[in-house]
Amino acid sequence: MKLLFFNNFIPGVLKDDTVVDISKIISDIPHVTAHDWMAGLISNFSKYRDLIQETALGSSGIPLKKVRLRQPIPNPINLVCMAGNYSENGAITKAKPLNAFLKSPDSIIGPEDTVILPSQQADIFHHEAELAIVIGKQAMNVKASDAYEYIFGYVNFIDISARGLHQDSLFIGKSWNTFGPMGPYLVTADEVEDPQNLPVKLWVNGNLRQDYTTADMGVDIPRTFEWVTSIVSLNPGDVLSCGTNHQGLSALQNNDLVQMEAGRLGKLTVNVKDVLDRTWQREIDKDTANRVAERTTTGGFGQSPANF
Amino acid sequence: MKLAYFNDFNLGIIENDYIFDVSEMVHDIPHLGPHDLIKGLIERWAEYKDLLGKASILSKKIPLAKVHLRAPLPKPGKIICMARNFMDSQSDKPEPLNAFLKSPSAITGPETTITLPNAPAAIFEHEAELAIVIGKRASNINSKNAYQHIFGYVNFMDISARGLAVGNLATDTFFPGKSWHTFAPIGPYIVTEDEVENPQALDVKLWVNRRLRQDYSMQGMNHTIAKSIEWVSTITPLEPGDVFCCGTNHTGLGPLQNGDTVEMEIEGLGKLCVHVRDPLKRTWPPLTRAEKVSLKGTGETE
Repeated sequence: MKLLFFNNFIPGVLKDDTVVDISKIISDIPHVTAHDWMAGLISNFSKYRDLIQETALGSSGIPLKKVRLRQPIPNPINLVCMAGNYSENGAITKAKPLNAFLKSPDSIIGPEDTVILPSQQADIFHHEAELAIVIGKQAMNVKASDAYEYIFGYVNFIDISARGLHQDSLFIGKSWNTFGPMGPYLVTADEVEDPQNLPVKLWVNGNLRQDYTTADMGVDIPRTFEWVTSIVSLNPGDVLSCGTNHQGLSALQNNDLVQMEAGRLGKLTVNVKDVLDRTWQREIDKDTANRVAERTTTGGFGQSPANF
Repeated sequence: MKLAYFNDFNLGIIENDYIFDVSEMVHDIPHLGPHDLIKGLIERWAEYKDLLGKASILSKKIPLAKVHLRAPLPKPGKIICMARNFMDSQSDKPEPLNAFLKSPSAITGPETTITLPNAPAAIFEHEAELAIVIGKRASNINSKNAYQHIFGYVNFMDISARGLAVGNLATDTFFPGKSWHTFAPIGPYIVTEDEVENPQALDVKLWVNRRLRQDYSMQGMNHTIAKSIEWVSTITPLEPGDVFCCGTNHTGLGPLQNGDTVEMEIEGLGKLCVHVRDPLKRTWPPLTRAEKVSLKGTGETE
């Protein structure tokens, strides 16, 4: 099932090329915010699944073209993103120590929204296309072998990143307002056959940039989940983003159109705005790709000798 | 005013040695649990403050000694902590502004227990900090107006594990350093901003087993409260009930280990007391960073 929010955060489900309103079906889920509503639905999904399925199948929806889809997880308590967790197409043969960071939940935006580049003099702004996991139930100290029981579903996530504003700060790199595009909908786990083998693709203005699979993760999803939940207890509706393969990163700049899709999670499209109209070279950032893959020891992440 | 949660997350106002249950006065604020009740109250403070100010006349009076105080912000939308924001033994010149997010799931309240995880940290340390409770939603706050966005103040300990995740592509390891379950003691209550005359001049103290470890003034901040709020709000919007921690002076940091009792107090904000448990019972010399440095200076070993 593909769960979503549309227009003014009305909850819905996708049926072919239409959206079916489910707000009446789940009206008894207590909520103050839209996020509470989705988190409540996730927590009690077994109670509502059949009803939603029947209603969706029995109703004619609103054509997708006539609605505005919104971010399906508007305000997670924890938005945990893995750092450096890919083998970069096999280049990193020995897995690195696991690391992650928290990204501000207020950075999340939805489909067709706009990433706004801040006026700070970053060396470059990158896209990082990622598979994000949506947590289904309270998860603390979960064993790798049990991890999939805690996963409710999956969603596309772009971890927009500013480089070079601080020598190592992930807060300053990652938490800018609008730097967390997510969507277009939340796909329940039963519809994703093998999350560890999903193609992840990202295009900038129609040009394919990132093109990797989640099979390239250095530490797989269950062991990543085990590690994260050993540190922090995750709540229903929290988001764990798996990290990215850095071999296809490229610059984002004013008026870019960015699209991404992991597996068949739907295509997420966002725009980019930069009031300063800065420009960078448009190709894949090979300096970063090479340094992360340890083919070189310098350059990349905005330290490229090119005239940025 | 001093706002606290007590017992089964009843909301109370503290005056002297008593707490007054005000749950009834705020029951019409939409909420699912204590975390959004306090957030909702902060958002609607102008509507409720006069009524709550009369709590000692209108509400049931309970001796403070008879209740169990809880975390006054059980699950803030964000906990933003300033990093390296004091001139101290770690920094001899002001460092560029930096911060990190700490998981709201790490919050724990007064008289609870910090559990040290089974992770190969070099050491676990306490960082006593002044935490600011944000009053309203805003981005790009001008430092001149920063204090208008502050609802109140509360004691906060940024418990920290050192030396984890070294060797990852990212050298920022704040997540495995800071976000462990129970690593964010907060309390015992929120003091509204009108009761704190000059937050930039407060003294911050922390004791371990009654021995004073941290003792510093907020005057030592490299980037003032107003400037820090301005900077953070350019990056991410601040929301009512968000917790913004000012960072710590590192001079008095020292190890935490099994059986320790940790107390901290910022003038006027009450005393926050927590305990430490380590199933592995690891031990470290009970010295502050400054004491270790002075021992080295005299040729003694750690």
